[in-house]
Amino acid sequence: MNFDLSEEQQLVSDSIERFVLNNYGLESRVAMVQQSPGFSLDHWKTMSELGWLGLPFSEDDGGFGGDQLDTMVLMEQFGKGLVLEPFLASIVLGGGVLKRVASESQRKAWLEVVIDGSKQLALAYAEPESGYEPHNVAVAGNKTNDGYTLTGTKCMVLHGKTADAFVVSFRTSGGVVDQSGISLALIPADRDGLTVQGFPTVDGLQSSELTFNQVSITADDLLGEIDNGFGALNEVINDGILAVAAEALGAMEILYKDTVAYTQAREQFDHPLSDFQVLQHRMVEMFMEYEQCKSLLFRATMEVAAGGDDAQRCVHALKHLIGKAAFFVGENAVQTHGGMGVTEELRVGHYFKRLLVIEAQFGNTDYHLDQFST
Amino acid sequence: MDIELSNDDLSFEAEVREFLAGNAYKDGEDPNKWRMDWFEKAREKGGWDVPKWPAKFGGPGWTPNQHYIWQKETARSSTPWDMPFGLSMLGPVLMAHGSEEQQDRFLPDIRARKVNWCQGYSEPGAGSDLASLKTKAVLSEDGSHYVVNGTKIWTTMAHIADWIFCLTRTSDAGIKQEGITFLLFPMKQEGIEVKPIITLGGSHSVNTVFFTDIKVPVANRVGAEGKGWTYAKGLLEHERTGIAGISNSIVALEGLKDKASSVKRGNGSLMDVSSFKAKVAALEIDLMAVEYTELRSLATASAGTAPGPESSILKLKGTDIQQRIQKLTMEAGGQFSAAWGGTNAGPDFARAGMGGYMGSRVYTIYGGASEVQKDIVTKKVLGIKSSKK
Repeated sequence: MNFDLSEEQQLVSDSIERFVLNNYGLESRVAMVQQSPGFSLDHWKTMSELGWLGLPFSEDDGGFGGDQLDTMVLMEQFGKGLVLEPFLASIVLGGGVLKRVASESQRKAWLEVVIDGSKQLALAYAEPESGYEPHNVAVAGNKTNDGYTLTGTKCMVLHGKTADAFVVSFRTSGGVVDQSGISLALIPADRDGLTVQGFPTVDGLQSSELTFNQVSITADDLLGEIDNGFGALNEVINDGILAVAAEALGAMEILYKDTVAYTQAREQFDHPLSDFQVLQHRMVEMFMEYEQCKSLLFRATMEVAAGGDDAQRCVHALKHLIGKAAFFVGENAVQTHGGMGVTEELRVGHYFKRLLVIEAQFGNTDYHLDQFST
Repeated sequence: MDIELSNDDLSFEAEVREFLAGNAYKDGEDPNKWRMDWFEKAREKGGWDVPKWPAKFGGPGWTPNQHYIWQKETARSSTPWDMPFGLSMLGPVLMAHGSEEQQDRFLPDIRARKVNWCQGYSEPGAGSDLASLKTKAVLSEDGSHYVVNGTKIWTTMAHIADWIFCLTRTSDAGIKQEGITFLLFPMKQEGIEVKPIITLGGSHSVNTVFFTDIKVPVANRVGAEGKGWTYAKGLLEHERTGIAGISNSIVALEGLKDKASSVKRGNGSLMDVSSFKAKVAALEIDLMAVEYTELRSLATASAGTAPGPESSILKLKGTDIQQRIQKLTMEAGGQFSAAWGGTNAGPDFARAGMGGYMGSRVYTIYGGASEVQKDIVTKKVLGIKSSKK
């Protein structure tokens, strides 16, 4: 067993860390959030030029042949700056489905332009009444002569407004909560009958709601086999969980370290706050939560990358622990910063808001505890 | 001990309900006119517009049970918005320590909701440790006025307030609690700058306020010079029981259950999911207990004795409960709670659920952070003295 990063991983990690330090100060981030499209197209281009967008794709697909561990290294550094660019949406989620099940011609048409950043993908799987279950799919494909038509709503589609095409789950057989009978398609954003309503989320990112009104899809749009889409969808959601868990870890590192620094600088009652034992112990616990999350992140990511039998259980465990720790670290970072902690002026609140969104994404803390224990 | 309300209390409850129902806001009414009429009618009931004021100053002189009934019923009804700063915070200080002239000058306008007050307490360097405040008030050579310079922070509603009651430092000699003086002055004047602070819920209610050479006549000083800390401490106690918000939490908990019941999970609703149901139940149990903690505290207060030890936990428990309600509401909204900027995604109530949760984090910080509250309980209630020098 070995927990060290490879030489290349270390280089990538260092270069992303520098990028985040140079470009993601709080003021710069706030400015990007407030301007359409809600992230920097220049940064997106830089990420492509530095090869980051190609990390988790095979060399045959034009990537660098990396796996979930490489994505983890990148996302942890992104988490330290709350990076806004659509890496998760387009590379991990949308690209993640394509690299698993797309046909030769679909790969040719899309992967090169996704990796060079000129096109973006997004994943549309959640629905108004699906709760946290990815297999709960009500949007039905109605058979036509040369394909299907889709009608219904997909919710909380990350970076949907800027996406050029959507990976969409829909039902072709079985009941609403059956794992079999789910199919996947790649649908261009300008397809007739598809409307995308974008909106911001509390963490400064962009989400959207997709309405399908008799949207036609043909055999060319289908991704993988009919009725058999759930396996790939579930794997991609697991990749998404690993990615946001790594991002959350980076964000928690900032929160606990900022709190340690603040308590040593801020004086009340003629002492630095760090003299008070109740705060000392609280910060030790924040640090402990962070380290425990790091351990489980390593465990789950290595298990998934190795295709181990325990992979799914590890992912549930990780998402549970990350959510629990996110509340503990976030609430206590804000509380310990006092009034300043609840303003937009300090960065702690911004990091906590991102953690809240991550907690509710891909199934929340309780959902994964339940999945783990059944 | 008796859990039943007396017949007198029951008829009082009926009277309150009748009043609240009869004066509820009707669609199409001018909200401002309704608000002013409401207070006028409450006044005619015999001081119901100032429930907590003593009878001597026009209050109703209610028993603790009557106060409890009033709180419970108003939390469930449409009542006009009100601000606590003049009514519940400055008012009692003036009644106890103000001159008769000051009482005559300020109390009627506070009661009539004509003048909005704000509270100048915290400073950038004086938060939990309020007594270390530095805003200076220097007495002029002829002794006619003070000149105030300094900065206040977290000043709620400073941007709409007409007047401020303000703690200032008039002396650096002795311990820091001495040398603090309680001054009143108008907010709309040259030399006062109000800068908004945007909080994580995205809203603007608090501000930073800068004072440059503000002249305050000596007649606007409450009580003696250097004794302001004593007056302010009493006032903080008012603030701390006020923000426990228990009656409101009881209503909010019912709202939470309704919301969660509307969220579909499997064949049932979120309220059928055992982990969620258990958290709501645990919250309800805590709330049932704290409701009676407050009643016990009200009973001691009305007996005229010093507040019992139970009152010291009201703010701690009350704010914890408020935060848990917000957290569970956010959880009920699931990922839709992340929506921001007035967009609708998922159920209506989920909109900005995370904003509401973030906004609730301040409850355990303002009015004396929970850590400071616990220090007070340690010292004052448990009688533990620190031997640390």
